[in-house]
This record gives sequence, structure tokens and C-alpha cells, in this order.
Amino acid sequence: MHRYPRWPIHAALILVSVAMLLPFYWVLKTSLTGENIFAYPPSLLPQGIQPFFYVDAWYAIPFARFFLNSVLVAAMVIVANLIFNAAAGYALTKQFRGKTAILFVLLSCMMIPFQATIIPAYLITAELGLLNSYLGLALPAFSHIICIFIFKANFDAIPPSLIQAARIDGVPEWKILLRVMLPLAKPAIATNVILSFIWSWNDFLWPLIIIRDVQMQTMPLGLSTFLAYFEDTTGALYAFCVMVLVPGLLIFLLAQNQFIQGLTSGARKG
Amino acid sequence: MRPWLVNRVTITFATIALVVLLWNLYVAQHDDGILAGTVTGPDGSPVPGAKVVLSERTIVSLDPIAETVTDDQGNFRFTGHDRHRVVLTASKPGVGQSRRLEVRLYFRNQNRELAEPLQLAP
Repeated sequence: MHRYPRWPIHAALILVSVAMLLPFYWVLKTSLTGENIFAYPPSLLPQGIQPFFYVDAWYAIPFARFFLNSVLVAAMVIVANLIFNAAAGYALTKQFRGKTAILFVLLSCMMIPFQATIIPAYLITAELGLLNSYLGLALPAFSHIICIFIFKANFDAIPPSLIQAARIDGVPEWKILLRVMLPLAKPAIATNVILSFIWSWNDFLWPLIIIRDVQMQTMPLGLSTFLAYFEDTTGALYAFCVMVLVPGLLIFLLAQNQFIQGLTSGARKG
Repeated sequence: MRPWLVNRVTITFATIALVVLLWNLYVAQHDDGILAGTVTGPDGSPVPGAKVVLSERTIVSLDPIAETVTDDQGNFRFTGHDRHRVVLTASKPGVGQSRRLEVRLYFRNQNRELAEPLQLAP
């Protein structure tokens, strides 16, 4: 029994949800109707729905190639993030000399925007001979500090007695991480997958700088190419936007429960 | 059934893979680029010997890519057009000209039999 009525909260949440979803609805509606987005008064309901703008978008640019490029880069980023962040997060649950300093350095690095480090990142990538390559695209996103802390928060919530029991049984540290910690940190894994996927999928600046070959472009770069060629085709442009958005939404919807748990894990004690 | 086979991630991606597979099978069966239809006169009767032009609709122009002539029953047929957005026009001296008919296809080379005839008007 609640002390106060819940409906005002629900009404407010519904209003906020509608406000948040309205832009997505508008993009979807325009992709199916191709109507002028500046038309006044705007029509809330779609009229003359047809799927051909998606066909136009598919053939206007090498969509399948851009999609494959984005998927390959995102897959590399996700795998690397899971390995490096889980290892770093596990290490930070230990007590060792200089741990505070390392935490301080990591937290400090979070405050430096990527744009500030992009020139050194470019020079290092060039020195490694990775310009215009998938590995070069993925390398700067191989680890995100915030994801390290998400793993650390999840690992901290696991009872130390489990680790001690594994140690007594002679299990090496990497196996403790793989067999004991990670299965108990599924929310952190889901959060890492979603965040690293979305950041990689939406990244525009880094691919813009290191990619020279059209066939190596990712989806956001493809969108800019699309804009350059087809300024007047509203429907096809919005159809392309939907096609870029859908994979990220799908990944999020599939793992949203774990994602929310991962972000809130360690936020409270007891 | 093993748990990893019946979770929502596996089911979602398996469904997507299945849809893509079925779609590609459908495309493979219907991608001869056949575009067929009929030309009729102002009275609705078939017009033999009418010239039908197939054009590609681009952002700024209309480029003719093929043309043919209707047979005795007023039927025309294009093959291997390799486009997903085309425009058809028909004309015959002494009978008239049709309006532009835009045909949008779900994929390039899609076979399509036009339900509506191209009607010539003076």
C-alpha cells in the first residue's frame, strides 16, 4: 500500500517518454512518407506510407559495405573492451601499492576529451602502419575507463569468500576472473557491450581522420557522404538514419535489463 | 533445449538471419529484370506498334535506357533493366502519348508485371 497515489508519477513518466520517443517516431515517419519535415501544420499521422526510400538509401551508397565495416569494427571493440576492461577492473579490486595513484590517473584521464588526444593518437596509429585499416579504426576504443569502473564496481560486489575458496583450490588468477568473476558480472558485461558498441557505432571523428578509402568507411561517414550527394531526398536520408539507428537500438533492447543493473551495481551498499 | 539456444539474443539474431536468407532466396528467384505491361488507347483497346521507353529516374534527370515496341496485343516487355526506380512512357504517332509512369521496385532487376496499362491520350 502506497502512502500517495502513483498516477501523477506514471503520468509524468508517460509524458517524458512521449517527448523522448517523438524524435524517433518523426524520423521513422519521414523515412516512410518522405514528407517535407518543415511542412506546416505538421501531420502527426503518416500519410502515403511506402518502403521505397529504404531501397533508394540501400542503392545510393555501398550500404552493405559500410554496414559490414561498422560491424567488424564494433565487434573488435566489444571483444577488446571485454578483455581489457575486465582484466583492469579485476586488478583494481586488489590491494597493491600505488593503487590510489592509478585510480587517480584513470579518473583524471576521463576528464581529457578525445579531441585533445586525437593528434597523438593519429601519429601513433600512423607509426604503427594502421591508417585506413579496421584495427586502426578500433584501436583507440579498445578500452574505456568508465567501463573499467563498471567492472570494478561489479567485482567489488562479489563476496571475497568466493575468490578465496577458488584460491584455496589452486585456481590461477586468470581462471578466477574467467570462471568465477565474469559469470557473476553479467550486468557489467552487458553494459560494456552496449556502451562500447554504441560508441564505436556512432564514432565519426576518428574514422573521418584515418580513413581515406571509400570502401573502408563506416556508417556515420556514409551518412555524411549521403548528405553530400543527396541533399533533397528527405525520405531516403531519413531511411538511412533509421538503418544506422536500428542495430544500436536492437543491442540496447536485448540487454537493457543487464545494462541498467550494470550501471546501478555498486551504487548502494547493503 | 540448451539455454543458450533459446535465449532472446539467439532467437533474435537467428530470426534476422532467417529473414535475410529468405529474402535473398526470393530475390534470386525474381531478379531477371523483366518489366512487362500493356499499352492501351484512349478507348481502352490495346495499341500495337506503340513505342515504349524505359528511363532511369535520377535525382536531377530522366535518362532513357531502353525502348521497345508493343506487339499485336499491345503488350511490351523489357528484360535485364538492372534498376530499382524507372519511368515508363509510351507513344504512337496519330494516337497519342501516355503520362509518365514511375515504377519503384523493391530491388534491382525485380520482375514486375504492371497491373495498370499505359494509356495513350491525344
